[in-house]
Amino acid sequence: MEMKAPLVAAGIFLLGLVLLAVGALIEPPRPQISQSGESLIALGLTFIVVGVGFFLAWANPTA
Amino acid sequence: MEGEHGTSDVKFLIGRNAGKSAVIAAFIATHVATMAGLWFDGARLPKFDFNNLNGYLVLGLSYGFANPAINFVVGGVIHYTSGIIWGVIFALIFHPALGRFVKPLHALTPVNNFIKGVIWGAVLWIISSAFWMPLLIGPLFQPINVGVGPFLTSFGPYGIQALFTNLFWHTIYGVNLGLLFSPTPAGGSRGTWRSSSGVGVR
Repeated sequence: MEMKAPLVAAGIFLLGLVLLAVGALIEPPRPQISQSGESLIALGLTFIVVGVGFFLAWANPTA
Repeated sequence: MEGEHGTSDVKFLIGRNAGKSAVIAAFIATHVATMAGLWFDGARLPKFDFNNLNGYLVLGLSYGFANPAINFVVGGVIHYTSGIIWGVIFALIFHPALGRFVKPLHALTPVNNFIKGVIWGAVLWIISSAFWMPLLIGPLFQPINVGVGPFLTSFGPYGIQALFTNLFWHTIYGVNLGLLFSPTPAGGSRGTWRSSSGVGVR
């Protein structure tokens, strides 16, 4: 697990970026809202946060 | 607890014991997630203002609308208290139990601690979406025709994006909690964060 952590973190982060980009493209201008666009933005940001956190946990020098 | 989170053979990123570390980590995690929730609107997501929602629950809608500052502060105290208590439950009960029942998560490493925090965030997301929002906030907002729907699938003008935004909120909480509440073996051969940086928080 510890050895694969950077790759897992990068994969999760990239997946989040893709979801965020697709969601941002789908999302119409204000004041309209898109259920799909905002869902993808939320999921994308979630994966990005998890990916960054995963990397920070792996990079912690106490490991 | 001894051997898992005992103070003799385990060190913490914050504080000297599991309880103190949990309280501080949970407070920071709650604050980061709460502030992020207030900014969600900037990312085209439903705004998650748990301070005001808690205030409406205890003070009532009419009083809360008439006194927004008081509602925000009173609700904030309740919300932060809840966040800290959930964090202590995580640190003292869920964290060691998960390490005992899920063997890959047994070792006290920062990565495992982080994964446990993310799992705890997902657990709280389910509790919030399945119970807290539909059973408490839904009936509260019914008089002003703002629904919540089952499992937070129709919060006001929003559809399922509210559910995923709630997942985002609780993931921020879980990520920060898992990163900050990080017990590791005290007898490690490599340099510790405290000794190498000299700025450990006690």
